[in-house]
Amino acid sequence: MATLHVLSHSPFSDSRLSSCLRLLGPDDGLLLCGDAVYALQPGSAQCLALELMPASIGLFALEEDLGARGLNVPERLQVVDYPGFVELSCRFAKVNSWL
Amino acid sequence: MPQSLLIISRQAPWAGPSAREALDIALAGGAFDLPLAMLFLDDGVFQLLPGQQPATVQQKDLTANLQALPMFGVEALYVAERSLQERGLQAHPLNLQAQVLDDSALTALLDRYDQVITL
Amino acid sequence: MKFAIALFAPPHAPSSRRALRFAQAALAGGHEIVRLFFYQDGVHSAASNPVCPQDELDLSAEWREFVREQGLDAVVCIAAALRRGVLDAQEAARHQRTAVNLQAPWELSGLGQLHEATQLADRLICFGGP
Repeated sequence: MATLHVLSHSPFSDSRLSSCLRLLGPDDGLLLCGDAVYALQPGSAQCLALELMPASIGLFALEEDLGARGLNVPERLQVVDYPGFVELSCRFAKVNSWL
Repeated sequence: MPQSLLIISRQAPWAGPSAREALDIALAGGAFDLPLAMLFLDDGVFQLLPGQQPATVQQKDLTANLQALPMFGVEALYVAERSLQERGLQAHPLNLQAQVLDDSALTALLDRYDQVITL
Repeated sequence: MKFAIALFAPPHAPSSRRALRFAQAALAGGHEIVRLFFYQDGVHSAASNPVCPQDELDLSAEWREFVREQGLDAVVCIAAALRRGVLDAQEAARHQRTAVNLQAPWELSGLGQLHEATQLADRLICFGGP
Protein backbone atom coordinates (compact mmCIF):
# COMPACT_ATOMS: atom_id res chain seq x y z
CA MET A 1 0.00 0.00 0.00
CA ALA A 2 1.89 3.04 -1.24
CA THR A 3 2.21 5.92 1.16
CA LEU A 4 2.42 9.65 0.46
CA HIS A 5 4.84 11.11 2.99
CA VAL A 6 4.36 14.80 3.74
CA LEU A 7 7.14 16.94 5.18
CA SER A 8 6.99 20.58 6.25
CA HIS A 9 10.15 21.11 8.34
CA SER A 10 13.36 22.54 6.93
CA PRO A 11 15.75 19.61 6.46
CA PHE A 12 18.71 21.70 7.57
CA SER A 13 17.55 21.98 11.15
CA ASP A 14 15.65 18.75 11.47
CA SER A 15 16.00 14.99 11.00
CA ARG A 16 12.57 14.22 9.56
CA LEU A 17 13.72 14.16 5.93
CA SER A 18 16.60 11.78 6.57
CA SER A 19 14.42 9.48 8.69
CA CYS A 20 11.74 9.56 6.02
CA LEU A 21 14.16 8.74 3.20
CA ARG A 22 15.20 5.57 5.04
CA LEU A 23 11.60 4.37 5.33
CA LEU A 24 10.42 5.05 1.80
CA GLY A 25 8.97 2.12 -0.11
CA PRO A 26 9.64 1.83 -3.85
CA ASP A 27 6.15 3.08 -4.82
CA ASP A 28 5.83 5.76 -2.16
CA GLY A 29 5.59 9.48 -2.77
CA LEU A 30 7.16 12.44 -1.01
CA LEU A 31 5.38 15.78 -0.86
CA LEU A 32 7.38 18.79 0.31
CA CYS A 33 5.48 21.72 1.70
CA GLY A 34 6.27 24.63 4.00
CA ASP A 35 9.97 24.86 4.83
CA ALA A 36 10.59 21.31 3.61
CA VAL A 37 10.83 22.76 0.08
CA TYR A 38 14.23 24.12 1.12
CA ALA A 39 15.38 20.51 0.56
CA LEU A 40 15.30 21.46 -3.12
CA GLN A 41 17.99 24.08 -2.65
CA PRO A 42 20.45 23.31 -5.46
CA GLY A 43 23.90 22.28 -4.34
CA SER A 44 22.71 20.96 -1.01
CA ALA A 45 23.22 17.39 0.18
CA GLN A 46 19.48 17.23 0.78
CA CYS A 47 18.72 18.10 -2.83
CA LEU A 48 21.18 15.50 -4.01
CA ALA A 49 19.58 12.88 -1.76
CA LEU A 50 16.19 13.66 -3.30
CA GLU A 51 17.55 13.43 -6.83
CA LEU A 52 19.14 10.07 -6.02
CA MET A 53 15.87 8.50 -4.85
CA PRO A 54 14.72 5.69 -7.18
CA ALA A 55 12.74 7.02 -10.13
CA SER A 56 9.70 5.04 -8.96
CA ILE A 57 9.31 7.34 -5.95
CA GLY A 58 7.16 10.33 -6.75
CA LEU A 59 8.60 13.69 -5.67
CA PHE A 60 6.12 16.51 -5.27
CA ALA A 61 6.14 20.04 -3.88
CA LEU A 62 3.40 22.50 -3.04
CA GLU A 63 3.41 25.31 -5.59
CA GLU A 64 2.72 28.16 -3.18
CA ASP A 65 5.67 27.23 -0.97
CA LEU A 66 8.08 27.10 -3.92
CA GLY A 67 6.85 30.47 -5.14
CA ALA A 68 7.02 32.09 -1.71
CA ARG A 69 10.65 31.05 -1.40
CA GLY A 70 11.72 31.70 -4.97
CA LEU A 71 13.08 28.21 -5.46
CA ASN A 72 13.88 26.49 -8.72
CA VAL A 73 13.02 22.84 -9.01
CA PRO A 74 14.73 19.72 -10.29
CA GLU A 75 13.26 18.08 -13.37
CA ARG A 76 11.81 15.08 -11.63
CA LEU A 77 9.76 17.21 -9.27
CA GLN A 78 6.03 17.57 -9.86
CA VAL A 79 4.59 20.83 -8.63
CA VAL A 80 1.08 20.59 -7.18
CA ASP A 81 -1.53 23.06 -6.04
CA TYR A 82 -4.15 22.26 -3.40
CA PRO A 83 -6.46 20.37 -5.77
CA GLY A 84 -3.35 18.43 -6.80
CA PHE A 85 -2.55 17.75 -3.13
CA VAL A 86 -6.06 16.37 -2.67
CA GLU A 87 -5.65 14.23 -5.77
CA LEU A 88 -2.34 12.85 -4.45
CA SER A 89 -3.98 11.92 -1.17
CA CYS A 90 -6.53 9.93 -3.14
CA ARG A 91 -3.95 8.37 -5.43
CA PHE A 92 -1.80 7.01 -2.62
CA ALA A 93 -3.34 4.49 -0.24
CA LYS A 94 -2.52 6.55 2.82
CA VAL A 95 -0.86 9.79 3.88
CA ASN A 96 1.90 9.98 6.51
CA SER A 97 2.53 13.53 7.65
CA TRP A 98 5.76 13.92 9.59
CA LEU A 99 4.32 16.28 12.19
CA MET B 1 -13.33 -4.96 9.01
CA PRO B 2 -11.78 -2.08 10.98
CA GLN B 3 -8.95 -0.09 9.46
CA SER B 4 -5.60 -0.60 11.13
CA LEU B 5 -3.61 2.33 12.47
CA LEU B 6 0.13 2.68 13.04
CA ILE B 7 1.19 5.36 15.50
CA ILE B 8 4.78 6.51 15.13
CA SER B 9 6.15 8.26 18.20
CA ARG B 10 9.29 10.29 17.44
CA GLN B 11 9.68 12.60 20.39
CA ALA B 12 11.73 12.19 23.55
CA PRO B 13 9.59 11.64 26.66
CA TRP B 14 9.54 15.21 27.95
CA ALA B 15 10.02 17.30 24.83
CA GLY B 16 6.61 18.75 25.51
CA PRO B 17 3.41 16.71 25.58
CA SER B 18 3.96 14.89 22.25
CA ALA B 19 5.12 11.56 23.67
CA ARG B 20 2.27 11.50 26.16
CA GLU B 21 -0.31 12.53 23.57
CA ALA B 22 0.85 9.89 21.06
CA LEU B 23 0.45 7.31 23.79
CA ASP B 24 -3.03 8.64 24.58
CA ILE B 25 -4.06 8.07 20.96
CA ALA B 26 -2.83 4.47 21.21
CA LEU B 27 -4.55 3.79 24.53
CA ALA B 28 -7.82 5.32 23.32
CA GLY B 29 -7.75 3.19 20.19
CA GLY B 30 -6.92 0.10 22.20
CA ALA B 31 -9.89 0.78 24.45
CA PHE B 32 -12.08 0.65 21.35
CA ASP B 33 -10.49 -2.66 20.30
CA LEU B 34 -9.05 -1.20 17.12
CA PRO B 35 -6.13 -2.87 15.34
CA LEU B 36 -3.24 -0.63 16.35
CA ALA B 37 0.51 -0.72 16.42
CA MET B 38 3.04 1.65 17.87
CA LEU B 39 6.52 2.36 16.54
CA PHE B 40 9.18 4.23 18.48
CA LEU B 41 11.44 6.07 16.04
CA ASP B 42 14.18 8.72 16.32
CA ASP B 43 14.11 10.36 19.77
CA GLY B 44 10.99 8.34 20.56
CA VAL B 45 13.28 5.46 21.56
CA PHE B 46 14.31 7.49 24.61
CA GLN B 47 10.82 6.86 26.00
CA LEU B 48 11.81 3.22 26.47
CA LEU B 49 14.86 3.67 28.69
CA PRO B 50 14.55 2.18 32.15
CA GLY B 51 15.70 4.06 35.21
CA GLN B 52 14.26 7.44 34.28
CA GLN B 53 13.22 9.78 37.08
CA PRO B 54 10.78 12.28 35.60
CA ALA B 55 9.72 13.50 39.02
CA THR B 56 12.96 15.48 39.19
CA VAL B 57 11.62 17.68 36.37
CA GLN B 58 8.09 17.43 37.73
CA GLN B 59 6.87 15.37 34.82
CA LYS B 60 4.76 12.23 34.81
CA ASP B 61 6.40 8.89 34.29
CA LEU B 62 5.21 7.45 30.98
CA THR B 63 6.48 3.96 31.81
CA ALA B 64 3.27 2.76 33.46
CA ASN B 65 1.20 3.98 30.51
CA LEU B 66 3.63 2.39 28.04
CA GLN B 67 3.50 -0.89 29.86
CA ALA B 68 -0.30 -0.70 29.86
CA LEU B 69 -0.39 -0.82 26.06
CA PRO B 70 -0.72 -4.63 25.84
CA MET B 71 -3.48 -4.55 28.48
CA PHE B 72 -5.34 -2.16 26.17
CA GLY B 73 -4.89 -4.58 23.30
CA VAL B 74 -1.97 -2.76 21.69
CA GLU B 75 0.51 -5.59 21.51
CA ALA B 76 2.18 -4.73 18.22
CA LEU B 77 5.05 -2.62 19.54
CA TYR B 78 8.12 -1.80 17.51
CA VAL B 79 11.32 0.13 17.89
CA ALA B 80 13.67 1.30 15.12
CA GLU B 81 17.06 -0.37 15.24
CA ARG B 82 18.82 2.53 13.54
CA SER B 83 17.38 5.00 16.05
CA LEU B 84 18.73 2.84 18.88
CA GLN B 85 22.14 2.57 17.22
CA GLU B 86 22.39 6.29 16.54
CA ARG B 87 21.84 6.87 20.24
CA GLY B 88 24.19 4.11 21.46
CA LEU B 89 21.26 2.09 22.77
CA GLN B 90 21.47 -1.04 20.65
CA ALA B 91 22.48 -3.27 23.57
CA HIS B 92 20.52 -1.38 26.19
CA PRO B 93 17.60 -3.05 27.97
CA LEU B 94 14.29 -1.39 27.22
CA ASN B 95 11.36 -1.05 29.58
CA LEU B 96 8.92 -2.33 26.97
CA GLN B 97 8.68 -5.58 25.04
CA ALA B 98 9.06 -4.21 21.52
CA GLN B 99 10.31 -5.81 18.35
CA VAL B 100 13.44 -4.17 16.96
CA LEU B 101 13.17 -3.48 13.22
CA ASP B 102 15.79 -2.50 10.67
CA ASP B 103 15.06 -0.02 7.88
CA SER B 104 13.64 -2.52 5.39
CA ALA B 105 11.43 -4.07 8.07
CA LEU B 106 10.21 -0.55 8.92
CA THR B 107 9.29 0.04 5.29
CA ALA B 108 7.37 -3.24 5.31
CA LEU B 109 5.68 -2.29 8.61
CA LEU B 110 4.47 1.01 7.24
CA ASP B 111 3.18 -0.72 4.16
CA ARG B 112 0.97 -3.09 6.18
CA TYR B 113 -1.14 -0.46 7.92
CA ASP B 114 -4.23 1.27 6.53
CA GLN B 115 -3.58 4.60 8.27
CA VAL B 116 -0.66 6.20 10.06
CA ILE B 117 -0.14 9.07 12.50
CA THR B 118 3.43 10.27 13.07
CA LEU B 119 3.87 12.52 16.11
CA MET C 1 -13.40 10.07 -1.05
CA LYS C 2 -14.22 10.56 2.60
CA PHE C 3 -11.55 12.47 4.50
CA ALA C 4 -10.85 12.72 8.20
CA ILE C 5 -8.63 15.76 8.77
CA ALA C 6 -6.66 16.11 12.00
CA LEU C 7 -4.90 19.35 12.91
CA PHE C 8 -2.13 19.50 15.48
CA ALA C 9 -0.96 23.11 15.06
CA PRO C 10 -2.09 26.55 16.27
CA PRO C 11 -3.50 29.22 13.92
CA HIS C 12 -0.20 31.04 13.44
CA ALA C 13 1.47 27.85 12.15
CA PRO C 14 1.60 27.58 8.35
CA SER C 15 0.29 24.04 8.65
CA SER C 16 -3.00 25.29 10.09
CA ARG C 17 -3.60 27.43 7.01
CA ARG C 18 -2.43 24.53 4.82
CA ALA C 19 -4.98 22.23 6.50
CA LEU C 20 -7.76 24.73 5.82
CA ARG C 21 -6.77 25.17 2.16
CA PHE C 22 -6.61 21.38 1.78
CA ALA C 23 -10.04 20.99 3.38
CA GLN C 24 -11.47 23.67 1.09
CA ALA C 25 -9.95 21.98 -1.96
CA ALA C 26 -11.28 18.60 -0.87
CA LEU C 27 -14.85 19.90 -0.70
CA ALA C 28 -14.45 21.88 -3.93
CA GLY C 29 -13.29 18.64 -5.55
CA GLY C 30 -16.52 16.91 -4.57
CA HIS C 31 -15.09 14.94 -1.64
CA GLU C 32 -16.56 14.66 1.83
CA ILE C 33 -15.04 15.59 5.18
CA VAL C 34 -16.39 13.21 7.82
CA ARG C 35 -14.81 15.12 10.69
CA LEU C 36 -12.24 17.72 11.59
CA PHE C 37 -10.36 16.73 14.74
CA PHE C 38 -8.16 19.26 16.50
CA TYR C 39 -5.53 17.77 18.82
CA GLN C 40 -2.36 18.96 20.58
CA ASP C 41 -1.75 22.64 19.76
CA GLY C 42 -4.44 22.36 17.10
CA VAL C 43 -6.93 23.20 19.85
CA HIS C 44 -5.70 26.79 19.57
CA SER C 45 -6.85 26.88 15.94
CA ALA C 46 -10.41 26.53 17.27
CA ALA C 47 -10.10 29.13 20.02
CA SER C 48 -12.21 32.24 19.66
CA ASN C 49 -9.89 34.75 21.31
CA PRO C 50 -7.02 35.47 18.90
CA VAL C 51 -7.03 39.11 17.85
CA CYS C 52 -5.40 39.73 14.49
CA PRO C 53 -4.21 43.02 13.01
CA GLN C 54 -6.47 44.13 10.15
CA ASP C 55 -3.82 43.51 7.53
CA GLU C 56 -3.07 39.95 8.67
CA LEU C 57 -4.72 36.63 8.00
CA ASP C 58 -7.28 35.81 10.70
CA LEU C 59 -7.09 32.06 10.42
CA SER C 60 -9.20 31.33 13.50
CA ALA C 61 -12.03 33.31 11.94
CA GLU C 62 -11.54 31.56 8.57
CA TRP C 63 -11.73 28.14 10.20
CA ARG C 64 -14.87 29.14 12.06
CA GLU C 65 -16.57 30.46 8.92
CA PHE C 66 -15.56 27.39 6.93
CA VAL C 67 -16.93 24.98 9.52
CA ARG C 68 -20.18 26.97 9.81
CA GLU C 69 -20.75 27.44 6.09
CA GLN C 70 -20.08 23.81 5.29
CA GLY C 71 -21.86 22.41 8.35
CA LEU C 72 -18.87 20.28 9.26
CA ASP C 73 -18.42 18.10 12.31
CA ALA C 74 -15.61 19.95 14.09
CA VAL C 75 -14.26 18.35 17.25
CA VAL C 76 -11.64 19.63 19.65
CA CYS C 77 -10.00 17.06 21.94
CA ILE C 78 -11.10 17.88 25.47
CA ALA C 79 -7.95 16.63 27.22
CA ALA C 80 -5.65 18.58 24.89
CA ALA C 81 -7.86 21.66 25.16
CA LEU C 82 -8.05 21.73 28.94
CA ARG C 83 -4.31 21.30 29.26
CA ARG C 84 -3.82 24.29 26.95
CA GLY C 85 -6.49 26.51 28.49
CA VAL C 86 -9.03 26.27 25.69
CA LEU C 87 -12.35 25.98 27.45
CA ASP C 88 -15.99 26.17 26.47
CA ALA C 89 -18.58 27.63 28.85
CA GLN C 90 -19.29 24.31 30.52
CA GLU C 91 -15.64 23.48 31.22
CA ALA C 92 -14.87 27.02 32.34
CA ALA C 93 -17.69 26.76 34.89
CA ARG C 94 -16.67 23.26 35.92
CA HIS C 95 -13.06 24.28 36.55
CA GLN C 96 -13.88 27.78 37.77
CA ARG C 97 -12.00 29.59 35.07
CA THR C 98 -12.91 33.14 34.07
CA ALA C 99 -12.35 32.86 30.32
CA VAL C 100 -14.49 31.07 27.79
CA ASN C 101 -12.57 30.82 24.55
CA LEU C 102 -14.18 27.92 22.72
CA GLN C 103 -17.58 28.33 21.15
CA ALA C 104 -19.82 26.91 18.47
CA PRO C 105 -19.35 25.50 15.91
CA TRP C 106 -16.62 23.66 17.83
CA GLU C 107 -17.38 20.83 20.24
CA LEU C 108 -15.17 19.32 22.91
CA SER C 109 -14.92 15.56 22.88
CA GLY C 110 -12.51 12.68 23.35
CA LEU C 111 -9.94 10.83 21.26
CA GLY C 112 -12.61 8.25 20.48
CA GLN C 113 -13.93 10.77 17.95
CA LEU C 114 -10.57 10.75 16.15
CA HIS C 115 -10.62 6.98 16.01
CA GLU C 116 -14.22 6.89 14.83
CA ALA C 117 -13.42 9.41 12.11
CA THR C 118 -10.42 7.35 11.03
CA GLN C 119 -12.66 4.30 10.73
CA LEU C 120 -15.37 6.16 8.78
CA ALA C 121 -13.00 7.85 6.36
CA ASP C 122 -11.16 6.56 3.32
CA ARG C 123 -8.21 8.80 4.12
CA LEU C 124 -6.84 10.30 7.33
CA ILE C 125 -4.74 13.41 6.71
CA CYS C 126 -2.83 15.05 9.55
CA PHE C 127 -1.45 18.57 9.54
CA GLY C 128 0.97 19.99 12.08
CA GLY C 129 4.36 21.47 12.66
CA PRO C 130 5.46 24.42 10.53
